[in-house]
Amino acid sequence: MSIGQWSRDLAMGARFALAGGREGWTRSLLTAVGVGLGVALLLLTTAIPNALAERDRREQARSDHTFSQQDIPKADDTLMIVDADTTFRDLDVRGRLLEPEGPRAPLPPGVAKFPAAGEMVVSPALKELLSSDDGKLLRERLDYRIAGTIGEQGLVGSQELAYFAGGKGLAELLEGPASGARIDRFGNEDLGSSDAWDPVLLLLVLVVFVVLLMPVAVFIAAAVRFGGERRDRRLAALRLVGSDSRMTRRIAAGEALAGSVLGLVLGTGFFLLGRELAASAEVFHVSVFPSYLNPSPVLAVLVALAVPAAAVLVTILALRGVVIEPLGVVRTAKPSRRRLWWRLLLPLGGIALLYPMIGQGDDGGNFNQYLVVGGVMLLLVGVTALLPWVVETVVARLGSGGVAWQLAVRRLQLSSGAAARMVNGIAVAVAGAIALQMLFAGVDGNYTRASQYDVSRAQMSVDVPDGSDPSAIIGKYRETEGVRKVTALSDVYLFDRGSEDSSVQITLADCASLREVATLPSCHDGDIFAAKGSEYDSASDHLAEPGTTLWTPEPDGDTARSGERPVSWTVPQDIRQAQSREDPTGYERGGILVTPGALPGKLAAFTSARLFLSLDLSVPDAYDQVRNTAARLDPAVQPMTWHSIESNDRYATIRTGLSVGSACVLALIGASLLVSQLEQLRERRKLLSSLVAFGTRRRTLGLSVLWQTAIPIGLGLLLAATVGIALGAVLLRMTNTSVRVDWPSVLSMTGIGAGVVLVVTLLSLPPLLRLMRPDGLRTE
Amino acid sequence: MTIPAGSLLTAQDLRKAYGPTTALDGAEFSIHPGEVVAVMGPSGSGKSTLLHCLAGIVMPDSGSITYNGREVTSMSDAERSALRRSEFGFVFQFGQLVPELTCVENVALPLRLNGSSRKEAERAALAWMERLEVDDLRKKRPGEVSGGQGQRVAVARSLVTNPRVVFADEPTGALDSYNGERVMELLTDAARSANAAVVLVTHEARVAAYSDREIVVRDGKSRDMERVV
Repeated sequence: MSIGQWSRDLAMGARFALAGGREGWTRSLLTAVGVGLGVALLLLTTAIPNALAERDRREQARSDHTFSQQDIPKADDTLMIVDADTTFRDLDVRGRLLEPEGPRAPLPPGVAKFPAAGEMVVSPALKELLSSDDGKLLRERLDYRIAGTIGEQGLVGSQELAYFAGGKGLAELLEGPASGARIDRFGNEDLGSSDAWDPVLLLLVLVVFVVLLMPVAVFIAAAVRFGGERRDRRLAALRLVGSDSRMTRRIAAGEALAGSVLGLVLGTGFFLLGRELAASAEVFHVSVFPSYLNPSPVLAVLVALAVPAAAVLVTILALRGVVIEPLGVVRTAKPSRRRLWWRLLLPLGGIALLYPMIGQGDDGGNFNQYLVVGGVMLLLVGVTALLPWVVETVVARLGSGGVAWQLAVRRLQLSSGAAARMVNGIAVAVAGAIALQMLFAGVDGNYTRASQYDVSRAQMSVDVPDGSDPSAIIGKYRETEGVRKVTALSDVYLFDRGSEDSSVQITLADCASLREVATLPSCHDGDIFAAKGSEYDSASDHLAEPGTTLWTPEPDGDTARSGERPVSWTVPQDIRQAQSREDPTGYERGGILVTPGALPGKLAAFTSARLFLSLDLSVPDAYDQVRNTAARLDPAVQPMTWHSIESNDRYATIRTGLSVGSACVLALIGASLLVSQLEQLRERRKLLSSLVAFGTRRRTLGLSVLWQTAIPIGLGLLLAATVGIALGAVLLRMTNTSVRVDWPSVLSMTGIGAGVVLVVTLLSLPPLLRLMRPDGLRTE
Repeated sequence: MTIPAGSLLTAQDLRKAYGPTTALDGAEFSIHPGEVVAVMGPSGSGKSTLLHCLAGIVMPDSGSITYNGREVTSMSDAERSALRRSEFGFVFQFGQLVPELTCVENVALPLRLNGSSRKEAERAALAWMERLEVDDLRKKRPGEVSGGQGQRVAVARSLVTNPRVVFADEPTGALDSYNGERVMELLTDAARSANAAVVLVTHEARVAAYSDREIVVRDGKSRDMERVV
């Protein structure tokens, strides 16, 4: 067979696709839209590494200071910078206060001019939020005049909320709890190199990619066959004029090729459109700029070559079982019985590739990325190979039932391959998702843990700046809308003279607040207690003895405040015992508990206070009311919001990525299912009308359509659950985690898969009812 | 038009339009039990629409259709479906057999829709298939039989419920002359022996020759034709 003949036949098919009248166009467009959606998703995926790299680069370029950096002297090229991050509802706002110390002070990326004191430059998204009704509360907090916007180079995502505000006297602010530094440049290399990936997280990323992309590939394979049955009939006419069956197949492949090339063009269009739209979207707090959402050229070329090649191959393979005869007669050749042995080889091969990596998830271990990707792919491709066999074997054994059941079962028996193809995408997606969810559930404990905070007692905490009057500040928080109770605990460590190693924690608070840290026998202002039962405070026993003299740190000591002379205090005789209990942060403190009336004022000046706020969560925006109060008191103070669960950021990002990706993939597969379902219904329009003509109830036909989808989907999901659990077990063994089937995720993933099918069936019901109208019998 | 006495199915002043196209414009019709009436006319004249209206598949825009004393146009969709299931039989040009069911299952389908058990339905189906000389095809699927054989299976399906009226829309349109004549012989013989009326839509005089009476539809209007013997 010459290449010339091949190309002539393919070109003829392409001509039929594009110049074959309305029907040809419709079919090509259907394929193109399907392929286009898949291609857009592939291009988007290939753009993700670039986008992440660019986000990292920008993050590094704007990084300003670290906790451990060396102090530098004030100069004409230095800048004082103070963190003023805040949170609005569940949105993080990146904020910095800037004070240039000379004309050569470095400008942050994306900022053209330093904002003057009382002014700020903001990101476009923050500007929009602040000018909306929604952002009123935040506007109160960021009470600066907007003097400009931050350029794209200063932001990592289009929807990022960020501001730079001009400050004054920031050096003094830094003596308090504020975080910041004097810097002479942006772009701290120390922050640039991200830590090496934990092998388990890397495994998760690899598997997420494979699991999300496999169904897309399966979807593209299905899309190139849209409208296939009608096309086969048209091809019969070619047989009549002398085309042999091989030529006919190649011509059909040419049609699919044209559709897929059109799909590539459409897909590029969808991608470019999606890229622009991406600028205005934020998913799970991640937004991107179109400018850096660029596919890697190598991967894009690979997509451009692989998609048309796959279209030709899939069509030729699909037509092997179809005998196209002249005179318009198309008969499906009696299909040879599907063989199991080679289908089993794929998943077994996958397990064989993954097997050597079992137990590699220990610290310092690593996974061979190629083996992981290859193994997972083979296992998932195994689903698509096994499913036609499973469907054929099971439906061949299904017995008789009602008319709807009989119509459905007979149709499945006649074309089980088509049914299996229809659910392949869902099955692969569900199998992959089950495996991943098992892996996530298995390693969850390593990356998330219950925080120690008792969120039933307090929901926020905030530090009181040193040197300020705690009682005035407590009053401000008490007056804040939504604050139910303020527990204020001030601490200072006192030392045994001459030995800074032997110290005792003194907690100063009123009786109500002290009750949050210890069970007190009784309490009045002026009382003092030795807290007993703390796990950590071994020194407190002898230092809390009555008559012991304790000292604040020496001026040159690590814990001393500069410039202050040590002050002594003698433990009074009337100290009583109290049983320590966990404070709202989960810490069980020891030492001495003192009410304000029992501590001399000169010593009270050495304490650092922290407030624990219990909120009335029925008050709208209670958290933000507190943040506003904090900002009014000191813009550099950031109240901490407590959560009952803490999770590793990277782990949370991967899980988020999986959720976003799964949603896209399932929507795509749902769309493909709907298209192929509608196509099948349109093919049977005349038959449906004639069935209705002789009195078939519409309900019977509707039920038969449901059974036709439900039976293969049920089998597909069963197979998907089996393969998913097997893959999940292997992945867990690879990470040295004990294998445990996470039934809730198995059930929820299969439930979501079934839900997609149900939605597709429901959406196809209106067209089904329309197609059952007697109009279908009209021929003129 | 006055309704002939003893008519089983009649239609008066039927009007039906599909958008701007008038399909029926005051058409009349009547048929007696056991009678075979051919509805003739050129393509697009409205003869299929007349058949669809008579069978309660399509509702006319105006006019009256009476079956056995009951007004069809005032029946609900469910009532008309039930009527078609139990009283009417249908044969279409391309048979319209369900491709995934075997021939015997296709013939048994109307009985099963009426609630008969599978066994009972297939026994009755086989009897009709024997009568139409296609019983050897019972296990084959429609895709595996010839056009003439498929059409005979469709005729068996139309008669299996012992309908009182069989509607046949160009039943030989896709067949060669030999097969066409064979199908017509079998259809009319079987219908007459079961005292079923046959409404036969055709544009072929040779097919119409199997009827007792002919009606011509032209531009949506119908008129009885004198038969020249």
